[in-house]
Amino acid sequence: MQLSLSISTVVHAGLLGWALVSFSAPKTLEVADVEAVPVSIVPIEELTQVVEGEKDADAKIKPAPTPTESQVKVEDAQNTGENEVDLKSLEVPVPSQTEIVSKAPPKTEEKPKPAPEPEPKPEPVKEVKPEPEKPSAPATEIAALPEPAAPALSDPVKDAINTAEPIAEKPLVLPKTGPVPVFRDDVAPAKTAKTPDRKKVEATQTASNSQRESDFNSDEIASLLNKQDAQGGGAKTSQKQAGLGAQTSSPAAKLSQSEMDALRGQIQRFWNIIPGMADGEDIRITVSMQLDRSGNIVGQPDVSATGGSQSTRLTLAGSARRAVLRAQPFELPADKYDTWSQVIVNFDPSQLF
Amino acid sequence: MEQVGLAATSEVTLLSLFLEAGFIVKLVMIGLVIASIWTWAIVVDKVMAYNKFKRQLDRFEDLFWSGQSLEELYRSLSDRKKNTGMSAIFLAAMQEWKKSFERGAKSPMGLQMRIDKAMDVSLSRESESLEARLGWLATIGSAAPFIGLFGTVIGIMTSFQAIAGSKSTNLAVVAPGIAEALLATAIGLLAAIPAVIAYNKFSADAAKLSGRMEGFADEFSGILSRQLDERQQMQAQQQAQQPVQQAPRQNIHPHAQSSGI
Repeated sequence: MQLSLSISTVVHAGLLGWALVSFSAPKTLEVADVEAVPVSIVPIEELTQVVEGEKDADAKIKPAPTPTESQVKVEDAQNTGENEVDLKSLEVPVPSQTEIVSKAPPKTEEKPKPAPEPEPKPEPVKEVKPEPEKPSAPATEIAALPEPAAPALSDPVKDAINTAEPIAEKPLVLPKTGPVPVFRDDVAPAKTAKTPDRKKVEATQTASNSQRESDFNSDEIASLLNKQDAQGGGAKTSQKQAGLGAQTSSPAAKLSQSEMDALRGQIQRFWNIIPGMADGEDIRITVSMQLDRSGNIVGQPDVSATGGSQSTRLTLAGSARRAVLRAQPFELPADKYDTWSQVIVNFDPSQLF
Repeated sequence: MEQVGLAATSEVTLLSLFLEAGFIVKLVMIGLVIASIWTWAIVVDKVMAYNKFKRQLDRFEDLFWSGQSLEELYRSLSDRKKNTGMSAIFLAAMQEWKKSFERGAKSPMGLQMRIDKAMDVSLSRESESLEARLGWLATIGSAAPFIGLFGTVIGIMTSFQAIAGSKSTNLAVVAPGIAEALLATAIGLLAAIPAVIAYNKFSADAAKLSGRMEGFADEFSGILSRQLDERQQMQAQQQAQQPVQQAPRQNIHPHAQSSGI
């Protein structure tokens, strides 16, 4: 036994000694140093819809358009401007409390909608904000471009209204061929560019798309595109000092997908319906409600239901009303109150039957 | 000193792991290394002992079935200092046989029983020596992982306490202490695995060897019993012919079973 014990001891000592010498830390793992990038999904309106402002204005918190000169009060005027009559502005979901011209991009089919005013005005002309690019608009000789600018310029109404538009630029004739220099007008008041980002992108795109760069005037294209966003001049007076402008305007702010989901979940939690009701899946319920700033319903929610049988419709409408009432106060971002001051909730019970 | 944890990862050797461990963990590791040494000592010892034992059995069986007279075999074996295995059983049986005949035992039944008992005792003594220290292997095999685990748990406990003190949950701080604690389990397994394997092998070997010895004991018992019967028959015949004559000295022979001397 002694022999074997000594053999074992010697072998162990040898192995341990070898291990102590040769065993070291394994090679350190190579880990790429990746930093987590926080991603937030924001609606595109936050970037594309901006409130115009004065460049030299103080950095105020609340953006406001230029103060108007005419102080004639016009009833029910919604848009700020020097007009005698309030031109219809494009559809804004909720009339904002502030005197901010909504820059919501209008759909093309909405454009020729006749305005309620007697004056024939086929195209809404931006009056508040003559862009610095405007003067280059007359360069309509370029064949690649349509001529939407021409009627706008010859529009007598616009001419009358748009005092800021330098008419003197009209006779300027640009050479048909050859490089067309980007004409910048120093006389026109420098205003905050509306969509600087977009313009830049377009300029580069046109540059890359065309073989003859000179035929394309990026400023012109930008001005044309900007006309799309133009709205009728308003008649509302504005006493507020012009602000610096802001990237986001409150009417343009939209509830993000997650906020809508939160609202949906909040209501869904309280929506109890009895399964197995006959023809329940055909019924659609719409609840529209007015919310105050703390998220409570003002007055009574307006419930309307369609489809299905009378009794089921009544039952489901009642359950939807109870759900909405019990779910309040709704937790919604306070700074977007203008967006959710009026909420329409559609209930679709078809998934539940 | 947040560098401590980082520095430890860069230079982890077995020695530094051991030295950085706490007192209890060190104790566990040392104990487990000793257990491993002991296990291998037993393994080496058993391997040698079993080989030797097997060789002896083979030699004895050759000798026993070689046609040699059992008396002579007995005489040559009893001269040897140490007898193990089958030779020990053989000697025990022969001693009992001789003692009984020297004192002139009357009952062959009692003699048979005594011889069997003597062989049983000798057999159990032999198999006991075969299985000696196998219990150690079984104990180490089953307990060493737990001892190692105990060391690991203690080590992780202390290292977590240290991490709580350092107020950093960086993996570079957490990992070295755990790696160091895990060494205890590693050593425990290192000791336990050979112990379990060796225990299984040696207990099987021991069972085989004692089976062989039992077989021999039974065979030998059978031979002796036949001899006794024949002897009794002869005695009865002789007593009928010449009652005074002494019985001749018996020569027991394994191959004389059929001839009956």
